[in-house]
Amino acid sequence: MAKEVVIEVNNLTKYFPVTRGLFRQKKIADIKAVDGVSFAIHDGETLGLVGESGCGKTTLGKCMLQLYRATSGEVFFEGKDLCQLSDRELQPLRQRLQVIFQDPYDSLNPRFTARDIIGEPLIIHNIARGKEYRERVAELLNLVGLAPYMADRYPHEFSGGQRQRLGVARALALQPRFIMCDEPLSALDVSIQAQIVNLLADLQEKFGVAYLFISHDLSVVRHISDRVAVMYLGKIAEISNRDEIYKNPLHPYTQALLSAVPIPDPEVEMKRQIIVLQGEVPSPMSPPSGCVFHPRCYRAFADCSNVTPLLEDVGDGHHVACLLYEQSRP
Amino acid sequence: MAIVANTTIGSERPHHTLWGDAWIRLRRNKLAMAGGIFIIVLALAAIFAPLITPYDFAHQDYSALLQNPSAKHWLGTDGLGRDVFARLLYGARTSLAVGIFTQLIVIGIGIPIGAIAGYAGGRVDNVLMRFVDVMYGFPDLLLVILLKAVLGGGIYQLFLAIGLVAWVNISRLVRGQILSIKSRDFISAAKVMGGTGRYITWRHLLPNSLGPIIVSITFNIPRAIFTEAALSYIGIGVRPPTPSWGAMIHDGYDVIFASWYQVFFPALAVALLMIAFTFLGDGLRDALDPKMRR
Amino acid sequence: MTALLEVRNLKTYFNTQDGVVKAVDGVSYDVNRGETIALVGESGCGKTVSALSILRLVAEPAGKIESGEILFEGTDLLKLSGDEMRKMRGAKISIIFQEPLTSLNPVLTIGRQISEGLEFHKNMSLKEGMQEATRLLKLVGIPHPERRIYDYPHQFSGGMRQRAMIAIAIACQPQLIIADEPTTVVDVTIQAQLLELIRNITKELNTALILITHNLGIVARYARRVFVMYAGNIIEHGNALDVYRYPCHPYTAGLLTSVPRLDEPRKTRLLPIDGQPPDLIAPPIGCSFQARCAYSMPQCQREKPPLLEVAPNHYAACWVSQKEQRPWQKKSS
Repeated sequence: MAKEVVIEVNNLTKYFPVTRGLFRQKKIADIKAVDGVSFAIHDGETLGLVGESGCGKTTLGKCMLQLYRATSGEVFFEGKDLCQLSDRELQPLRQRLQVIFQDPYDSLNPRFTARDIIGEPLIIHNIARGKEYRERVAELLNLVGLAPYMADRYPHEFSGGQRQRLGVARALALQPRFIMCDEPLSALDVSIQAQIVNLLADLQEKFGVAYLFISHDLSVVRHISDRVAVMYLGKIAEISNRDEIYKNPLHPYTQALLSAVPIPDPEVEMKRQIIVLQGEVPSPMSPPSGCVFHPRCYRAFADCSNVTPLLEDVGDGHHVACLLYEQSRP
Repeated sequence: MAIVANTTIGSERPHHTLWGDAWIRLRRNKLAMAGGIFIIVLALAAIFAPLITPYDFAHQDYSALLQNPSAKHWLGTDGLGRDVFARLLYGARTSLAVGIFTQLIVIGIGIPIGAIAGYAGGRVDNVLMRFVDVMYGFPDLLLVILLKAVLGGGIYQLFLAIGLVAWVNISRLVRGQILSIKSRDFISAAKVMGGTGRYITWRHLLPNSLGPIIVSITFNIPRAIFTEAALSYIGIGVRPPTPSWGAMIHDGYDVIFASWYQVFFPALAVALLMIAFTFLGDGLRDALDPKMRR
Repeated sequence: MTALLEVRNLKTYFNTQDGVVKAVDGVSYDVNRGETIALVGESGCGKTVSALSILRLVAEPAGKIESGEILFEGTDLLKLSGDEMRKMRGAKISIIFQEPLTSLNPVLTIGRQISEGLEFHKNMSLKEGMQEATRLLKLVGIPHPERRIYDYPHQFSGGMRQRAMIAIAIACQPQLIIADEPTTVVDVTIQAQLLELIRNITKELNTALILITHNLGIVARYARRVFVMYAGNIIEHGNALDVYRYPCHPYTAGLLTSVPRLDEPRKTRLLPIDGQPPDLIAPPIGCSFQARCAYSMPQCQREKPPLLEVAPNHYAACWVSQKEQRPWQKKSS
């Protein structure tokens, strides 16, 4: 079943200049937050994007929504390259591009009531007023599992999980085709996380919305995603179908990430061998030469410090950027 | 489908808006409430001064010069035979008017400049803030005197002079507020929804900066009042016979050995009003600080 | 063998604007020498407060230890004077906090901060202290320790700061280390490094460890015994193997089924626990989990279940479980 591509990222880069100087600011370096990333997300599909903090996953998401303007590259949505559009030209498209943030405390205006929050997109796009507006808000509250009588409450009167539900309702208000979910669970407790995961899954089924699901939690990403991309230092290390990447992780970094996740079962853990990566993620201001992962890689060889591996298909849409697999091919 | 989440939390506790919550906290702060009540009482007394004292602030009674406090003249009379209590009451009008009108100017200039600098960022921010820094670098009183010299006498010119100097504080504060709120996720969310810059400023940024702005103004009012008193003390403030506490202190200073209370009462009035505003400001700051919420 | 630490019926309350929060409401647990136990639960369940109470680090005047006993090697820490307590902290019991940046002093070098405790507790000179600090930094895996002791906290990365915190915690060879969510702010690969380090060091020094976490995977990997907390109470405890395989409290069972597992086939739906924890200002009369529990009986609403042994060395505070019906175990066995 070939579904239509909703959003496509082509060779996207985002560099943040590091400047020095009092009046005439001189650029002294670049933070290469996102460095040549390409992928596509289809209708009703979830792409999981995993990586450690500072790997550029959030920057990438913000570039897709034009919250940051990319340094170079393209973001295609409904046939238009969003990077080329002005803020005014973007305005009508924004109805179908939404976001859910990590911190449900920070992402809701504390001076707004739940109704103001959920209804804000309706007001901005002048979609509903008066009675219709109130009904639509009540409907949205119901949809995310909150009671309509809560519309007059302020964010501080809700629990963390309920606030995240408000965030979801707001994102859904305009019936978008694509939602970027930026670590939507990491501020929530375990038992509440599952509620939100199920909610997101239900809503996807109902409305066919596509998600970019940014997370550092590999277990949740496996649960919710159709395809998974692993990012390291601004680049995609590996991208594939969910089942393939979890059963057959190729990139040593993916392998180490999976191994680092503790499994909630003492019996399993007693028998398990884990790969502990040495060192820490280098600064994206001066990334290592060759493969950016080579200083921490337990399978690195001489070439890794000189040759930059390309993200290449090793079969069935399983892409990996690692010299181990480039050499093994004819 | 999604289960209606158990919604016990919140329903058991009373429903408060953030402002309501702040009001509850303010009410518990006794010093702040005392300060607030003092200011209100003083304001009422100043407005209804003619009903409280039979004397006119300018009426000179040469038969009663430099009298001690008595049943007839509650706080005595000054060197020209004017009733000190009446002059204090009418002087409060001057002080409070200075406090209020200068702040209107401060709000009118300081908030827009701070908001523009904070929201626009980049070069606009740089230019505006360097200008503010230069203003900030001058000693306030000196600048007011200079402006007063340029603008000329009269009470409105005085408001203007003080206001034109005092706005820099608030513009710095507003800029800082806007910058910190701008980086919060609900602003990003509003941008993703398609909110324009003007919409975001009015709906999100300014309402969320209001708390610190109110606190800052509460602290700014006594400074303006003090500036006026200081200017009047050195004789370039309000012109006689309009009563001003600063001018009264000046006049009293000449006769301090004959009747010390000529200095004492107006000085006490200035001090009490300053303290009242400071207590109120402290209380407001604690009450409006969201971190104070458990 | 007597336990190294015994906490008995500890109650720690907080006064707030809205009323008294019963953060820890009658909690008992024990730690043996050299043993690693885990306090697990969600935010606000009282796990951190119950551990901070051991060191009497609960912020007064809002927070107050209302009652209970904390026996460390037989002496009740709650009865010690402020001076005696200071001699305990760092020397016999130390703590690793969640956020190393705020728990390290920004204006002192890392070396000084390690040496401080040694000077205070072990009467070392500054020079000896710094030498020992170098050795400790090397032990916790920081490269070039002889240079890094002169660095300030901001010159260390997050993972390295947490290593420095570990060095401070072990400096005086305490008998007990409390690790309060030690890896919550770091990434998975760094988390693995730090936890392996903590495990190896506690094993080497035969130090007991209280691991406070919300992560069930970490508990499974590192702890022998588990105490599950909910709404200010311990609701289940036992050996990790038993608790994970045969959870005797529906909350524990719910937690275990609500997280997706990498080693199991992918489920189509997660099984969350509905609702949310109760308000600790006005906790329910009966079982605190009752409102969210799929198995609750009329008795659960009326009476608070005591923590009783429901299987050998396996305790649970649940009326259903104590009647030896555990419908939630069907799936896991």
